[in-house]
Formats: sequence, C-alpha cells, structure tokens
Amino acid sequence: MVSLEAIANSVASGFLLGGILALTALGLSIVLGVMRLVNLAHGVFLIAGAYVGFFLLQATGVDPIIALVPIGVVIGAAALPVQRFLLEPLTKFGPEAPMMTTFGIAIVLENLFVLYFSADTRSIERDYATVPLLLGPVSVPLVYVFGFVISVGVILIVHAIVSWTSFGRDLRASAVDPGAAAAVGVDVRRVHALTFALGAACAAAGGTLIGIIFSFTPASGANYLLTDFAIVVLGGMGNIFGTLVGGILLGVLQSLAGVTLGDGYRDLVGLVLFLAVLAVRPQGLFRGHAA
Amino acid sequence: MTQKTANLRRAVRNVEQLAGIVIAAVFVPGIALPNLLSDYELQIGFRIMLYIVLAEAWNLLAGYCGLVSLGSASFVGVGAYVLVGLLNHTGIPVPMAVGIAGLAGAALAAVVAPAVFRLRGLYFTVGTLALGEALRMLMINVPWFGGATGLFLHVDWPSSRELYIYVFGLLCVTEVTLSVGTRSRLSILMRAVRDDEDAAAQVGVRAFRVKLGTFMIASFLMSAAGALQAYKLAAVEPYGMFGLQWSVDVLAMVIIGGMGLRYGPVVGAVFVVLLAELLADYPELHVAITGLILIVLIRFAPKGLVGLLGRISSLLARRLAGVHLV
Amino acid sequence: MTKLTLRGSGYREAGRCLGLSVVAGLLTFGLTVGNAQAADEIVIGASIPLSGPLAGFGSYEQWGYKRAVDEANRAGGITVDGKKKMIKLIIRDDKTDPNVTASNTETLIGRDGAIAMLGSCTPPLVNAGALVAERRKIPIVTACAPLESFKAAHKWVYAWDLFFHEPDLASAPFKLMKDFGATTNKKIAVLHENGPDGQVVGGQVWPGLAKENGFEVVQNASFPLDNTQFNSTIAEAKSKGADIVLIMAITPQAVAIRKQMASAGYTPKIIVIEKGAEPVQFGEALGKLAEGVMVGGYWDPSFPFPGAADLAKAFESETKQTSSQHIADTYAAAQVLLDAIAAAGSTEADKINAAIAKTDKTYVVGPVKFDENHTAKLPMVEMQWQNGKQVIVWPKANATATFLFPAP
Repeated sequence: MVSLEAIANSVASGFLLGGILALTALGLSIVLGVMRLVNLAHGVFLIAGAYVGFFLLQATGVDPIIALVPIGVVIGAAALPVQRFLLEPLTKFGPEAPMMTTFGIAIVLENLFVLYFSADTRSIERDYATVPLLLGPVSVPLVYVFGFVISVGVILIVHAIVSWTSFGRDLRASAVDPGAAAAVGVDVRRVHALTFALGAACAAAGGTLIGIIFSFTPASGANYLLTDFAIVVLGGMGNIFGTLVGGILLGVLQSLAGVTLGDGYRDLVGLVLFLAVLAVRPQGLFRGHAA
Repeated sequence: MTQKTANLRRAVRNVEQLAGIVIAAVFVPGIALPNLLSDYELQIGFRIMLYIVLAEAWNLLAGYCGLVSLGSASFVGVGAYVLVGLLNHTGIPVPMAVGIAGLAGAALAAVVAPAVFRLRGLYFTVGTLALGEALRMLMINVPWFGGATGLFLHVDWPSSRELYIYVFGLLCVTEVTLSVGTRSRLSILMRAVRDDEDAAAQVGVRAFRVKLGTFMIASFLMSAAGALQAYKLAAVEPYGMFGLQWSVDVLAMVIIGGMGLRYGPVVGAVFVVLLAELLADYPELHVAITGLILIVLIRFAPKGLVGLLGRISSLLARRLAGVHLV
Repeated sequence: MTKLTLRGSGYREAGRCLGLSVVAGLLTFGLTVGNAQAADEIVIGASIPLSGPLAGFGSYEQWGYKRAVDEANRAGGITVDGKKKMIKLIIRDDKTDPNVTASNTETLIGRDGAIAMLGSCTPPLVNAGALVAERRKIPIVTACAPLESFKAAHKWVYAWDLFFHEPDLASAPFKLMKDFGATTNKKIAVLHENGPDGQVVGGQVWPGLAKENGFEVVQNASFPLDNTQFNSTIAEAKSKGADIVLIMAITPQAVAIRKQMASAGYTPKIIVIEKGAEPVQFGEALGKLAEGVMVGGYWDPSFPFPGAADLAKAFESETKQTSSQHIADTYAAAQVLLDAIAAAGSTEADKINAAIAKTDKTYVVGPVKFDENHTAKLPMVEMQWQNGKQVIVWPKANATATFLFPAP
C-alpha cells in the first residue's frame, strides 16, 4: 500500500524534523527540570520568536536563521522581568499558582499578538525553504537539514553552558536540591530567573525555525506546547540530550503515523504517546537531570 | 458538639439558604413571568446559568478535591455529542437525554480515572490537557461522528424559554449537589486528599475512591451542561464542543471567583459572562483582559473576587467594630 | 468574640453574593436597555471572519457588504412601512470560529436588533450562523458557501445561499483537461481537508468524476483544518507519481502544501487548489510558486454582467489591493437582501423571507433565482495563477489568457 520510498522519505524527514522539535522543547525541559515549573506560556514564547524573526526579515532583510541567537536573547531578556515580578513571588503558594500565571500570560500574549499582528497566518519566506535535498534515493527538504544542524548546534551550546560554566553548575545544583544549593551559597533566585530566560530564548530560537519551515498564527503555540511536553516526558525532564533523543523519536513516530494513518494523526500520536509514557513512567524514558 | 461547631453549622446553613434565595430571586422571575425577559435576556440568563454549572463542577473537582483539570472540554463535548445522537435517533424527552449525556460523561471519567489518577499534581493538569486535546483531535479525524463537520440536530429546536427552564433545572441540581458535597463527610475527605494525599491514605482515606467519586460527579455535571449547549446550538462539531476554550473559560471563572470557596464559581461565572457582553465588540481585548485579571488575582488575591471581598469586608467590619482580632 | 467572627463571615459571604447578583442584574438590564434600537433605521447584521485563518475572505466580504449598503443609503435608503429609512450594517468578527459566529449572530439579532442577516464564509461558519438565524426566524442571505454542504446542514426556511455547486467546481478541471487535450499519466492524488466542503468535493465528487473520466485515483488523503505539516501525504503522492493533484484546503494550508511540495521535490503537471488559492494572499505568500496553480472561480471582472468591471475597479482604487472574486458574491448577496426588503416594504421577517424567495434578477455575479432548496447556482470557470494574477483559462469562450501547462 504505502511504498517503501514514501516511508523512507517520511522517516528521514521525521528524523530531521524531530531534531528541530527537540530545540523547541529544550526550554520547557530545562525550566521543568530546574524550577519544577510547568511553563504553559512556552508555546507563546515560541511564537514570539517567530514574530520577531518575521518582522526582522521584513524590516531589515536579514535572514532570521543567522540571527537566531540575537532573537533568542531578545525574548530571553523580555522573559526575565516576567519571571522576576510575576512568577518568583508565587513560589510560596505552591506549584499551581505559577503554572496558572503562565497560563494567564499565555492567553494575554496570544491575544496581544492578535490585536497587534492580526490572526493572519504568517510565514518567514525564504527561498531555501522550498528546495529538496536528495540523499541518494531519499529526498528531504533542504531546510530541514539546516534546521537540524542548527538545532543540534544550539543544544550542544546549551549543554556546554550547563556542564562547564559556573552558571551551569549552579543550575544543576538548584535542580537537584534548591535548599542545599542555597546553603552552599548559590543564588537560587538568580539561577531560576536566568533559567527561565534561557528557556524562553531556546523557545524563541525554535519558534523562528518553525516560522521559516512552516507557518504560524498567534494560536499555533498551543499545538507545539503539547508536542513539546511529549518530548520532554520522553526524554526526561531537564535531560538535555534526552530531549534531543526524545524529539527525534517523536519526529519519526509522527511521520510514520502520518504516512500510515494520515497527516491529521501526527499530533494525536504524539499526545497518545505522551499520555502513555506519563502514565507508565512519568519521570521520562531516560534519567532526569540529576546526571 | 462544641459551641463553635454549632455556630458554624448555623452560619453555614444560613449562607446556603440565603444564597439559594438570591439565586432563585435572580433567575425564577424569568420563568414565572413569561414576558418579563426579552429573548436576548433569556439567552444571557442561559449562558450565566450554564457557566455557573460548569464552574461549580470544576470547583468541586479542583477547589475542593485538588484535581486541577484542564480537560473540561472532553466532558462538555461528550455530553454534547451524546445528546444530539440520542435526540436524533430516539424519541426520549430532553431532560432524560440530558441526564444520559451526563452519565456518559461520568462513564468517561470512570474509564480514564485509573490512568489519569496515576499522575499527581502538575502532571495531572498537563495530562488532562493532553487528554482533552487528544479527544478533540480524535473527533476531528475519525469519520464515525461526523468528523470535522459534526452532527446536526434533526428534531424540533427549543425556544429560548425552554432552554432557560432546562438550564435552571440543571442549576438547581448542581447547587443541591454542591451543597451536599461540601457539607457532608465527602468534603472533609476531599480536602484531606487535596492537601496531602499520602497522609490521607495513611489515615485510612480511600483516596482513589474519593477522587473517582468527585471526578464522576463533576464530569456528570459538565457533560449535562455540554448537552444543553448542544441543544441550544442544534449542531455539534469538534472545534466548538471539544475546543480548549471550554477548559480555559471554566478555569478562568473559578479562579476569578474564588477557587475552593462555595460561591466563588457563581460570582466568577457572572463576572465572566458580563465581561464578555461588555467587551463583545472587542473580543481579543476581552480575552487579554481576562488573562490579566487572572494573573493579577493569582498574585494579589489568590482566593479570587469572593476572597478579596471577604478581606475587604473583614477589614471594614474590624474598623467599624473597633475590635482588633488577633 | 469567635462566635461573632464565624457568623459574621457566613453572612458576609452571603452578602457579597447578594450584592454581586444585584449588580449583575442591574448591569444586565443596563446592557439591554442601553441598546434599544433606533426605530428609524433598518439594522442588518453580519458576522464574518475578519481575523483568523479565513481573514483573507473576511476582508473582501466586508467590502462587498458595505458597498451594497452604502450604495443603498446614498440613494436615500429603503422605503419601509411608507417611510424611507437608512440601513445600518453591523459587522462582527467571528475570528474563524463557528462558536463565535453563533454567538455573534445571537447578539446581532437579540441585542443589536438586526431584522436580517448576511452570512459568514465557508460552511462551518455559515452553517453556524444560519442555524441561529433559522432558530430565531430571521432571514439570512449568504454567499461563500458551496451549495451541497449548505443543503446538507438543514432544510432551510429562512436561510438563502448563492454560490457555486460542488459538482460544477469539481468537474471543471476534468472538462478543462479534455478540452485542452492535456496529456498526463492519468493518475490523480486527492488531498482534502476534512471539513464539510472537503469531504464533499474531495471525498466523494472528485473520486467519482475521476472514475467516470478514466482517471485513476492513486491517493486520497484528508487532514484536519488546522494541520500544518503535510510531509507524509506529499511523500506518498510523490512516490505514487501522480501527474495531477487536486487539493481542497483553506489558504494557510494551501500555501503550506504548495511550499512543502516544492521542498519535497514533487512537481505534478496539474495542480488544482480549490478554495485556498482564491484569495490574493495565496499569490502573495507563494510568489513564483503560485504560478500555474488552478482554482475554480465563480466571478471575474471580465464577466458580461452589469457592473462587473466597475466593481473590481472600485475595489482596487479604494483599497489599493488586487480585487478578488469574493467581492462580487457578497456584494450581490447584500443587494439581494436589500432588494427583498424594498420589495417587501416591511421589516417583518416573514415578508422579507417571502420576497427573497421571489428574487429573479441579474446581479453582478449573474442571474440569481433561488430554487426549492433555497440555493442559487453561480456559473463556474477555471482560473489559473499567472504572473501573480488570476486569469480565466476555461471555458475557452471566457478565457482571458492561455492555459499554462504543465505547471512550472
């Protein structure tokens, strides 16, 4: 029924796409792992990055794909005060209050996007986004390869930050035991603020890539939020390489579902997988970021 | 029974009676005097009452039992589709169909409970969100229930007055259920589970059963509400009836009104519907403002409007009485 | 002292509840009283997608409806009950959400006092609004809703639709291929959204016509309205080697599919994209990639109907944008309604409804006469995107450009 060629193309594309999705999920994973915060505004941070990339291209003609880091920095910087003033004071109320607040932030931002940018579907138009790449008998979109390479690059950078810098050491300490970390002199509040900003920056970078490869509307964030949750759960909260593996795994599974059942089932497969893993092994298939 | 408990019980009974009288006073005249309210006002009344039902149900689940669910849409949708299916294919009267739709919701709750209750706290919330969305995507893709087109109601459509009466009936059922639920031993069990499930289990509380019971009751009410909404629209489709907006609206109402407070949902529902009407010409502004109100309230008034007014009136009372209570 | 607090708190809570309910009641009455309609205006309501995925269609609808109303008002209004009254058109944005269409329609009829409605666009929205209008027994005239999916929703009494008939739309590409003798490998891939018109055209009519005309449908895939990734579907179409691809999707998806076809290296000879390729945004978003894409059309300024060319010119000079066929069907729909109100000489729903039933006039879209299913068919042509513009390529008699084949 379904030809081998179609399956091969799908799996290859899914592999690469999964790597890109992993970048979008990275921020969520870090924030969840370090701050135990379910950031329901993660999706809008993604879209915020996409809008910044879109308007950057419009205004200056600069290709957002080379400006990913600055875009991430911009959104990360914007996210800092959000964490400081809205989320930090709520930590004493238990884990639900910050989550609800991120929820409120998500709907406020989404509707501000609609108000200022309209609900129209946008896409960051780049010529290389519509060109195939032939690797032997298999063809994948060229832009997927770009996106994959960039995503892996960013993931490696973040891993380097977390493993080899002093900030990274503080971050890991706060993740394992905030109390103990504070006791040995780590400014946990600062770590949380910067972690949140880093999460937002990663989301924005991932969102820009999504904006180039696909299209987006103010409401697109919600879909990616759920897919990203699936990846985080698959890969283990806070486990950076786990997120990459989880993303690739999800990408391949989604593509297989798309080719056998129909593209409409992609997201559904992701959700079902998410629920299954959550029910059976909530800490993720791989170990969390204690390692 | 100590004097304190006796007074508490008396006070509570009085509040319930007073609240019951207020609700009746606001909504009954619309039924008793057929020409008092215009069609538009009947519609608004319907919306307010329907939202109160949803909010009360969610409050029972999240406020009293600690199960913060973002999957309310699943039950609203199930109730809606079941009603349309029943009315289209059987000749049973509407109240019975609504009841069966409610039972369908309770059944769904029972089916997913074992899986979903393995998730604690935040995982539960995210899990219910995923469940709601998964159900919506399923309904969009599979053709058995009309797919993305949905189903149309083929029996006679109700008048605004008929809808108003039905939803008032459902509201009464809801209020009685909530009053019973929050005054009986169940309320203590729920709170025990909410505050510390493991400790509760240690002292012999059958946590799973408590959660299941609460979940089923809340789902019954939400599905019944969804059924009435479907009856009003005379058509159902996945984006509308299983859409995330139901879960969002319900959560917003209860948090704004006051989560875990007996009449928080009522206040929240009224507030949300009125805000929607006032800002009907500016829909994005409306949702953005709702989000802002949510953020501000969570930060400064975690017990919602009812809690806020409570603090204000305590302050005033203390000033007036000149008494400084420690 | 503790006694006082406990009892006090109980009464306080009740007092709050009472107070807020009173406020609520007052506000509600205030809302309704404050919106008492001006009795010397004819209020017509319209809920259209001014934002969201269908915003492209909504903006044209708005222009078309407004123009008809402004024209009537410039002529002094409509004579109703012996007096000339101005028409007030109230437009609400339904954000491409059927729930909002329904509640907007409710508000327009109930609070704003609309005595008639003009419809939204695409079956989910149109049906949602029409159901409400039907329930409230208010006449609603709509365009932008293919006739079969309109008929399938309900046996309408108060709703009227003028638009194309899906079989006409679906058969146009086949007739075109026959007329031009286009050589292909006769393999078709059908990609359609699973909404009402997608299911009708993509799920039933196209496969049926393919068989009739000796084509082989090698793939028939459906996807939800909010899907953005089509890789698997396209991969399969490519591997099956279909020369002809027939697509039914809204604009954002149409754009995505076309782009993803390109990045997958899939180059069929004939690309037909219904619905999505209609608005100007399609051409703007795709640039060169839109070249050669075909789409069914029901109106073009070159049509020999009164005011056709002028309508497009007026649109382009007023809005500085390229005109689209959607300005015509909505303009005509509004005119049909206004003419019916004038013919009825009354704002009573049933009189207006009866007048709409008697409509038999040629408007800018052609002759409009409703049949027993409350539908009026518009003629179909096949258009093609060439150099960033839509031109008619079929039927040859109406063609404004030569057919570009194969698609570049």
